[in-house]
Amino acid sequence: MILIGELSLWVALLMAAWSMTVSYAGGASRRLDLVDSGVRGLYATFAMVLLASIGLWTALLSRDFSLEYVAGHISASMPSAYVFTAFWSGQAGSMLFWALILSMYGTIAIATSRARNQELVPWATGTLSAILLFFIATTVFKANPFIRLPFTPLDGRGMNPQLQNPGMAFHPPNLYLGYVATAIPFAFAIAALFAKRLDAEWLGVVRRWALLSWFFLTIGIVLGMWWAYVELGWGGYWAWDPVENSSFLPWLTTTAFLHSIMIQEKRGMLRKWNVVLVVVSFLLAIFGTFITRSGVIESVHSFAQSPVGPWFATFFVLSTGISIYLVGIRLRDLEAKAELESMVSREAAFLYNNLVLCGIAFAVLWGTVFPLLSEWAGKSKITVGPPFFNAVNIPLGLLLLALTGIGPLIAWRKASVSNLRRQFAMPAWTGVAVGVALFAAGMRNVSALIAYVLCGFVAGTIIQEFYKGIRARQAIHGESVITGFVHLVARNRRRYGGYIVHAGIVMLFAAFAGLAFRSEHDISLKAGESFTTNDPYGHSWRFVSQGVSFYNRVDRDVVAVGLEAFRDGKRLGIITSEKRQYVDAQRNPLFNPITEVGIRTTSKLDTYIVLAGIRDREVAELRVTFNPLVVWVWAGGVLMVIGGVIVMWPQAERRRQQGGYAAVMPPAQPADELPVPV
Amino acid sequence: MTVTVTSRREFLSRAGGVFAAIALGAEAATAQGTPASSESMPGMNGQVRPVRLPAKPDAKPVVTPEERDALEHRLHCQCGTCTLDVYTCRTTDFTCAVSPAMHRDVLALVEGGHSAQEIIDAFAATYGERVLMAPKRSNILAWFTPGVAVLVGGGAIAMLLRRWKAEKQSHALAGPLHDVDATSDELARLDAAVRGDDRP
Repeated sequence: MILIGELSLWVALLMAAWSMTVSYAGGASRRLDLVDSGVRGLYATFAMVLLASIGLWTALLSRDFSLEYVAGHISASMPSAYVFTAFWSGQAGSMLFWALILSMYGTIAIATSRARNQELVPWATGTLSAILLFFIATTVFKANPFIRLPFTPLDGRGMNPQLQNPGMAFHPPNLYLGYVATAIPFAFAIAALFAKRLDAEWLGVVRRWALLSWFFLTIGIVLGMWWAYVELGWGGYWAWDPVENSSFLPWLTTTAFLHSIMIQEKRGMLRKWNVVLVVVSFLLAIFGTFITRSGVIESVHSFAQSPVGPWFATFFVLSTGISIYLVGIRLRDLEAKAELESMVSREAAFLYNNLVLCGIAFAVLWGTVFPLLSEWAGKSKITVGPPFFNAVNIPLGLLLLALTGIGPLIAWRKASVSNLRRQFAMPAWTGVAVGVALFAAGMRNVSALIAYVLCGFVAGTIIQEFYKGIRARQAIHGESVITGFVHLVARNRRRYGGYIVHAGIVMLFAAFAGLAFRSEHDISLKAGESFTTNDPYGHSWRFVSQGVSFYNRVDRDVVAVGLEAFRDGKRLGIITSEKRQYVDAQRNPLFNPITEVGIRTTSKLDTYIVLAGIRDREVAELRVTFNPLVVWVWAGGVLMVIGGVIVMWPQAERRRQQGGYAAVMPPAQPADELPVPV
Repeated sequence: MTVTVTSRREFLSRAGGVFAAIALGAEAATAQGTPASSESMPGMNGQVRPVRLPAKPDAKPVVTPEERDALEHRLHCQCGTCTLDVYTCRTTDFTCAVSPAMHRDVLALVEGGHSAQEIIDAFAATYGERVLMAPKRSNILAWFTPGVAVLVGGGAIAMLLRRWKAEKQSHALAGPLHDVDATSDELARLDAAVRGDDRP
């Protein structure tokens, strides 16, 4: 099976090359036989890459240490679940994984849209095959997981224990699923540029896949944050690390796209801009993989450095160049009539939403590459870290939050003064009430106050939208609140699913603003000694050291310290933090020692304890961090994913709502706000 | 077998002599921050350089412990493998010997009566700008480019919206655009209904 896998990879390389060539040729010469052959070539590539992947999985699960990749990433004693995930934990495997997902996505996308997108199919197939060709070629020539060692070691190196975590098992594949999904809209955008066609079918395919990409990127990013928070021990979940940034970039542009595409759907406007966003999202995904895989920018993710950097750089430059060229020569052909009735309209709000999202993306990209640019320009080496990203992105983030509340309140086409007054009253008062309450409670941090006022405002908007929708259903169908809610969401999944995503965003921002009140304490404790301090809410905490313990497990040596925690004199229990040194069978150290953080979570506060080191075998050097509201980051993430599922859930054709003026128009409500009776 | 855990601080004080030698070697390195010595102690990578200022007369610390922690959050650990600031690194990663060494320099400077800004400047003078977690405010290119980009984008959108609106008006002047079977009065009522103007 392993040999079959290895050979399949070579066949896949040829298949991808074939498919690319005949698809483009078929598109240019309009020869259907060539187009068909190209499509079949893509399907065959998927089959071959799948065989190769099964081969690698077989090698891993049978623990065939004669393969360099297997010996380098797993060990005999590792749990099978992590042996399975070791497939994508290294360079070569993750390249193959990219190819696997891409060929699978490509096959699904082409198979499902083939009948309806005849003009685009050859170009899209060709472009997908070209991307596949790159990934398969990189795998075969630069990062081949089937390379054999000259000898067969008795055991493998194993996996970095920090990666042996459920978060890490799911974080990379989700990110890959998100990254790779940007390739489908990209391929169809390139196809549209070649074929000079952008119709409703194009819109459907591109929107679906962009949504899928957004969905997986969201899951991947939130899981990565969770992993960093519980596993790395520096006390936060986002460090503006280049690799984190590069996953955030396509998320931002895809989010912008998912908003601006609504203008194209409803008004036929912004076609060119949407094509540009799709192309940019893909290029940023490639850029992200390049950053992750090349180690070109100093980063904590250095376990992923390797020789594929130059290949990626070349591919990135090439695809950027071709995209710019195509967009440059063909964009005019996509020109559409665009008119606007009012500056105060949903269309204008979406444009500003796009501006802010792209502004954040640019700021993050700028901060990420600036050290490189500075060095290339012959200037001194500089660091661009969290203080820069926070200073630049906090104002933009608050602006975005405000727009999240404003956008849904403004009617399409033209908002009248009375409409605005009626729509804004409740949300605005909610925001003000939140602000006054927090100020009265003693909050004086201006940025945080602004953030919470805006959170209140956006929450008010979302609640008002649901309230109006449910009221309308009650009036029309006589449904109860709960049935009304369920039907409301079910009948208009995109809109109300979107609001649920917005609710998740509100939670995230509320949690981010909580970071303004984070406090840290650097302490040294012997057994029996205690440390007393106040948390950001003013509660008094006392931590009593239970002493340092040293013990050994089969695979690791452990130093642990337990702190008995008391809040306002009440005993809460013992919080334990450990340092672990993983060892091999001869008890030689494997990898660097790692921290097991002690975390006590409540809805208001995380108490986060890190054992930094031991002095004289009895004094524990500790950091105690009070992290307010962190649990709401995870809750917000979960809500966004739920919203995403609702939005993506397939809706029967007949139920699809027609936008704008096509809606039903009884006198009581603006048409825009009414559910469409089915 | 037991775990061989040594405190970074203890490790450093024991290795004081080695440290001084490396520090002197590092000082001779170029200002661009090339690794100074390949014979550095483990974990140091020869990246630590002494940051010293003469103590002020009648030196009294003017920096509180909280301010000191805040200023350490603005300094980048120079170990070359982590992306953390000095405070976070030294309170997280006990294998790094660089951030505790930098911390000791901060402590000495605080004891010498220097202000937070003076300490930051002293570090920047020794290590170059890369020791700061963010570029200096004077680095206009770094700080202002995103803002300028957003402003330019905002201007472009404003112009675009204006053009679209002008297009709409020119169409409106040219008479009804759509071949809709409705009188202009009906269209006006439709418009009002959609906007919700006719509501009490």
